[in-house]
Amino acid sequence: MRFRSGAAYYLKKLAAFALSVFVLSAAVFALSRLAPGDPLVSYYGERAEKMSPQERERTMERLGLNAPLHVQYVRWLQGALRGEMGISFKYKQDVLEVIALRLPNTLLLGGIGFVLLFVLSLLLGVLCAWHEDGPLDRVVCRAGTVLSCIPEFWLSLLLILIFCVTLKWLPSSGAYTIGRAGDVLDRARHLILPLVVVVGSHLWYYAYMIRNKLLEEARADYVLLLRAKGLRKRAIVFGHCLRGILPSYLSLMAISVPHVMGGTYIVETVFSYPGLGTLTYESARYHDYNTLMVLCLLTGVTVIFCNMLGQVLSERVDPRIRREEAPVEVNAP
Amino acid sequence: MPDALVEFQHLSHAFRPGRHIVIKALRDVSFSIQKGEIFGLVGESGCGKSTLARCLMNIYQPSSGRILYKGVDLCDGKARRQHRRMLQRERQLIFQDSASSLNPRMRVERIVTEPLVIQRIAPPRGSLRAEAEHQLRSVGLDASCLNKTPVELSGSQRQRVSIARALILEPELIVADEPIASLDVSIQAQIVTLFKHLQLAHGFTFLFIAHDLSMVRYLCDRTGVMRGGRLVELAPTRELFSNPLHPYTQALLSAIPFPDPLRERARPAFSAPPPEPAREGALVEVTPDHFVLQSPSCT
Amino acid sequence: MPDLLEVNRLSVRFDTPEGRILAVRDVSFSLAEGEVLAIVGESGCGKSVLCKAIARLLPKSAHVEAESILLDGVNLAGRSEREMCRLRGKLFSMVFQDPLTALDPTLPIGRQIAEAVTVHNRRLPRRAVERRVLELMDLVGMEQPQEKARMYPHQFSGGMRQRSAMAIALAASPRLLFADEPTTALDVTIQAQILDLLRDVQRKLHTSTVLVSHDLGVVARVADRVAVMYAGRIVETGTAEEVFYDPRHPYTWGLMRALPALAIEEGRPLSPIPGMPPTLLAPPRGDPFACRNEYALAIDYEQEPPLMRVSDTHWAATWLLDPRAPRISPPLGGIPHA
Repeated sequence: MRFRSGAAYYLKKLAAFALSVFVLSAAVFALSRLAPGDPLVSYYGERAEKMSPQERERTMERLGLNAPLHVQYVRWLQGALRGEMGISFKYKQDVLEVIALRLPNTLLLGGIGFVLLFVLSLLLGVLCAWHEDGPLDRVVCRAGTVLSCIPEFWLSLLLILIFCVTLKWLPSSGAYTIGRAGDVLDRARHLILPLVVVVGSHLWYYAYMIRNKLLEEARADYVLLLRAKGLRKRAIVFGHCLRGILPSYLSLMAISVPHVMGGTYIVETVFSYPGLGTLTYESARYHDYNTLMVLCLLTGVTVIFCNMLGQVLSERVDPRIRREEAPVEVNAP
Repeated sequence: MPDALVEFQHLSHAFRPGRHIVIKALRDVSFSIQKGEIFGLVGESGCGKSTLARCLMNIYQPSSGRILYKGVDLCDGKARRQHRRMLQRERQLIFQDSASSLNPRMRVERIVTEPLVIQRIAPPRGSLRAEAEHQLRSVGLDASCLNKTPVELSGSQRQRVSIARALILEPELIVADEPIASLDVSIQAQIVTLFKHLQLAHGFTFLFIAHDLSMVRYLCDRTGVMRGGRLVELAPTRELFSNPLHPYTQALLSAIPFPDPLRERARPAFSAPPPEPAREGALVEVTPDHFVLQSPSCT
Repeated sequence: MPDLLEVNRLSVRFDTPEGRILAVRDVSFSLAEGEVLAIVGESGCGKSVLCKAIARLLPKSAHVEAESILLDGVNLAGRSEREMCRLRGKLFSMVFQDPLTALDPTLPIGRQIAEAVTVHNRRLPRRAVERRVLELMDLVGMEQPQEKARMYPHQFSGGMRQRSAMAIALAASPRLLFADEPTTALDVTIQAQILDLLRDVQRKLHTSTVLVSHDLGVVARVADRVAVMYAGRIVETGTAEEVFYDPRHPYTWGLMRALPALAIEEGRPLSPIPGMPPTLLAPPRGDPFACRNEYALAIDYEQEPPLMRVSDTHWAATWLLDPRAPRISPPLGGIPHA
């Protein structure tokens, strides 16, 4: 019985997920086609402007761009379900290949950024809660509020100005110096500034959330009993309070994935870092429809999935909620 | 019964907080409250006594059964709409937690007189303010409270304000759900004394819900004991306390500690009340006016 | 019997944005080994703060001052938090009012009890810890301890939770147990069981107990000695018999006369204490109870009465006991002995 209700729960989630993805794909499809601009420019470059109307007509026909919108969508959907996402107008390659080329860069930046955020925010949060109202706590809370209000692109530009232009310590763009693709150290040098921006712009906010959760937990009545037992502060914070906030921490972190991803995209664009963010920007700008669709879906799926994961985690990790699946009849408790 | 004000007939109510969870809060409860009496309803938390009060105030729609108020079926939407004005005027509810049941942003004057405004009744003493002042005085508060907000009052003052608000429409029936549970001992006695005094003066019918048996014993004319959604025993208070018949009532009464150390020390250890009977049963009149729930096999 | 606990001139003050609150004022009392002392009073009278001040479990905004707090020969006053950690649980322990919020919701009961066992005895082998946990659960009357140990607090009833909290409190065999309104949140029948358990355990283990309660019935059931608190002070203290059968302080009279059980017994109407307890933010001059006291003398409004001796064990802070005071006929004092 428990298994069945559990399976039904996940099936329901899955259905909601599929529906969200479908709606998202339709919306992106419609929006990208409705945006003003000429997709042929991205395919033929300069040549597109010199085409005769008949020539244009034929090319549009060949690329399947002059059918009504819903027909185009159905056609795209059929292809997508078979795994054919079309070719990139700009790179004249299979979209998936274009993306596969850039994906590792973004995974590296976003992944490291996320792990850093995951660990640092918890550490910082615990540290602040431990020294509640101490100087560190005050600085983090104040600085955090200010820093989380600074837009990422502005922070990026500021850092480039300081460390690349003025001090000339770090490179300002790209993933590696041309000709040194295999050099790990060089890659790491290129990652530093983007990482600082990605982590730095979100860290405070999450650390602050964790700090507040932890302090709230530490004021719960059961902490008094733990102290009466003779437990030290360390044992109470790490053995009990952290356990208590674990569900909310995990769901918070799941929800932070989209945040980090959004940050990564912006940062990539500013630093001309060859990742999905730059690619998305380019494909939107040059009406590279197929690429844009896949990128938006990829991003959207991650966002929706992580939000759902956060929701499921917060519902499932807590033992108080976890155990109440079996059907019961209660005579007024 | 000729002068029953409220009659519960086979009242049942179930909550369904989850798809597979059914909580039977009330099971086939039947009894009546006479006009002008103080009726006490006791039982442990979760026994269904608050659910009963809420059904009576039309906050919950019971799953089955009828509640007759002056012959009007409260569970029947049509009859209820027909007598809406009368029902709203004549029934008043007092909650346990006066801190959360009074709007913290309203001044006492408005809280007390709001029922008059809603019912569009002209204040009998000229102005709303004079009316509020009069009501406050009758519950032992002075006019200095009129301009305060509930936050500025103490727990007992707030509870007095809720009583004044309930009284302003001169209701026939007052339902008080654990009105003294969150107050201090010395204040509890003040409020209970006030209830007794007000009931004598106004003659309203009073349903007093509590878990403190000694207060019920002091205040109420008749008392019903609830357990697991059922009424297990019902008798005049004096009779119930001197001659409890249902094993659960006996356990409940023997559990009250008496403020007398020697008597308490001499008392044997408390034996836990018997588990709830699973079978259905019916209230049987054992002696005149004394009803006990008996399972079919016993009768 | 030697005194296990001796508190000398303990005061607690809270510095709040609204001003200074004197929650406990100059309280001294002692407790013999194996004795149950009940501290009675209305909410806000400082009875709970007093216990937490001794156990040093008050928030940072509280300032505790005491000449000495001797517990089993150890002076608790002025100890560091680290040293207090070592004493808590072992020398003294505590049970709280709301058993639902007092347990960690994320851990099974067995682990929470085990933790209380191991915190003062880290080298205990796992087997021995398990045995001790089951033994404790048996002691507090939890049947089928093996299965119950694996359950979470939310799966228990209120009574079972309070039993678990008792097991945790008794884990390191403390000499003294603070029970802060341990039955207030429970139903009467559960309350009776927990009180019986408290009495039972106390007899078996010979643990001294400080019981905080507002319910004189509960106090009568378990207490050997009683201290009545009002506005942060102990106003009357004595053996249970002395306080219940021969109370001397007008506030104690008032408390007794406001009890419906006694009123019914004696066939008289309930006579509540008029007025409300004073706010501790701006306590009135003189005796804080004076304005609610029908026996108040002129001096009560000027000067707070000291504790005066009735007998060696019985003291009351009222000017009525002063030889110069006018004779009055007390409204109480003759409850028949059973």
